[in-house]
Amino acid sequence: MASKTQFSAGRALIYAFLLIMALLYLTPLYVMIATSFKDIEEIRSGNLLALPQDPTLYAWIKAWSSACTGSECEGLAPFFMNSVKIVVPAVLLSTIIGALNGYVLAKWRFRGSEVLFGMLLFGCFIPFQVVLLPMARLLAELGLANTVTGLVLVHVVYGLAFTTLFFRNFYVSVPTELVKAAQLDGAGFFAIFRHIFLPVSLPIFVVTIIWQFTQIWNDFLFGVVYSGPGTQPITVALNNLVNTSVGGKEYNVDMAAAVIAALPTLLVYIFAGKYFVRGLTAGAVKG
Amino acid sequence: MGALLIDQVTKSFGETQILKGIDIDIQDGEFIILVGPSGCGKSTLMNIIAGLEDATTGRLELAGRDVTDVSPKDRDIAMVFQSYALYPTMNVARNISFGLEMRKVPKEERDRVVQEVATLLQIDHLLDRKPSQLSGGQRQRVAMGRALARSPRVFLFDEPLSNLDAKLRVEMRTEIKKLHKRLGTTIVYVTHDQIEAMTLADRIAVMKDGIVQQLGTPDQIYNDPANMFVAGFMGSPPMNFIEVELENAQAVIESSSERHLLRLPQAESLALQGHSKVILGIRPEMITEPKPEDDPTYLHSIRMDFEVVEPMGADTMAIGHWNGTEVHARLSPKAGLHAGERTEIQVNTALAVIFDKNTGERIR
Repeated sequence: MASKTQFSAGRALIYAFLLIMALLYLTPLYVMIATSFKDIEEIRSGNLLALPQDPTLYAWIKAWSSACTGSECEGLAPFFMNSVKIVVPAVLLSTIIGALNGYVLAKWRFRGSEVLFGMLLFGCFIPFQVVLLPMARLLAELGLANTVTGLVLVHVVYGLAFTTLFFRNFYVSVPTELVKAAQLDGAGFFAIFRHIFLPVSLPIFVVTIIWQFTQIWNDFLFGVVYSGPGTQPITVALNNLVNTSVGGKEYNVDMAAAVIAALPTLLVYIFAGKYFVRGLTAGAVKG
Repeated sequence: MGALLIDQVTKSFGETQILKGIDIDIQDGEFIILVGPSGCGKSTLMNIIAGLEDATTGRLELAGRDVTDVSPKDRDIAMVFQSYALYPTMNVARNISFGLEMRKVPKEERDRVVQEVATLLQIDHLLDRKPSQLSGGQRQRVAMGRALARSPRVFLFDEPLSNLDAKLRVEMRTEIKKLHKRLGTTIVYVTHDQIEAMTLADRIAVMKDGIVQQLGTPDQIYNDPANMFVAGFMGSPPMNFIEVELENAQAVIESSSERHLLRLPQAESLALQGHSKVILGIRPEMITEPKPEDDPTYLHSIRMDFEVVEPMGADTMAIGHWNGTEVHARLSPKAGLHAGERTEIQVNTALAVIFDKNTGERIR
């Protein structure tokens, strides 16, 4: 029996390994943030890992408001707003529809519902590339090519497989007798959803919203394919910004831009991450 | 007037037939118990009555109105579930009043009903609690309160006591019986517990394999069973079944290497029908220590070796053999019984029943 206080060589090794892995993961982030606060002179002459000697917000301001992304030189700000305009409705719509889908597939079995669920599940494994061309065609037919609405539609459709799966698996653990009891009490389809299912759904809503937010905010492929000049999301703008060089390469601006692009997902995870883990492991409440 | 008429109801899932033509006519204010082993179709029948499942064929009538195709909420039926199915996010008061809320009953009226029901069930101090903060017995009461609140025409109880511990179960059983006495509503109650069935029911429907084996009062079911299944299902320990040969319409048994002839009440019909081998059914309480009876016609004095003796306080159960089959006897603890001792006992065949050896059906 090993005592609690024993600090064996094996344990030390484990900690050392974990520490090294953590450093390995954190170093790039550190370099990014440190570099974003340096001026270009310091980057050229100094050590990559050194702390900024004279921290400056120059790179951040430039990345946000005046860096060139192709021929435009308005920084990331307009594209950040594009991303917000795409992400917010896409996340909300895909989550709400997913919740209703999950509710139906979990508690209102109908002929072929299992097959439908199987096909939806399959939808989770369809790679982006496969849907690119047909979707482009569809958007053109609908007159939604190069629009924010079009991108919202793409993300909602692609996200539904995941959101439905999340909600369905969560709602399956809600006892079916609750549905029967509510039916006898006179509640209809939507009343049961509203009064019985919604009140227990907070954990799974958090999980789904975080998941969808991260997926859609970070999306590059759909963004680059289906957006027009005025509707590009921030990921596409970041790429353009880094690839546009007027004069010398401004690593500090690139780094600041990258952090700006990554910040929302980072913040969401920091503030809601514990609910994410809790929601993934939580079953629904038992009656 | 009939409260609920179940008319030739069948239910099939694909090839499997769960219910094979159920006919039950339930009177107003009657307490009907559907009892049977698991898989006999009793819960399916209950769901069909509630409207949660559709019958494959057949008809349901509620107070003279055909409700076969009426949705559950419009049937004027309330149900108490085995798991109670209380809404976990609502407090007790809202659980009770939810059905009224869905039916757009005004708030003041709802509050009044909640108060009334809660007082009746002695849960008025729990109205603000969530179901997770209640004990099993309290949840049971809330579940009943929810059903009561709507004052429906028919109550359905789906094994309502099976999640309670033994002591609480007996308490709630009495409570339900009192409640029925007081309210006089029609109750259809599903259970697999034969004691619940015997103690609560006005009439019992014993079900097996999707068929009502017998529908009758507890006394009829216990003393006048239609077949071996019904006879064996009711009573604890169950009725003794012994294969016997008939000699002059009397049952031949061998106990402790001695041969005895038991006179039977069905002697005449047995003699007429010419059976030679039948199953004798006799309840343990008919095998006792010698004691005087008014009518000595069917009393027999025989000797028996008991291998096992189980004192249970009020009675002593003893196990011996007739014709090589185990036989349970119920004796008085004063009989001073000891395992392994040859004992003089009395067999009363006045209520003995005879079954066909091949079909298990009663021979009358």
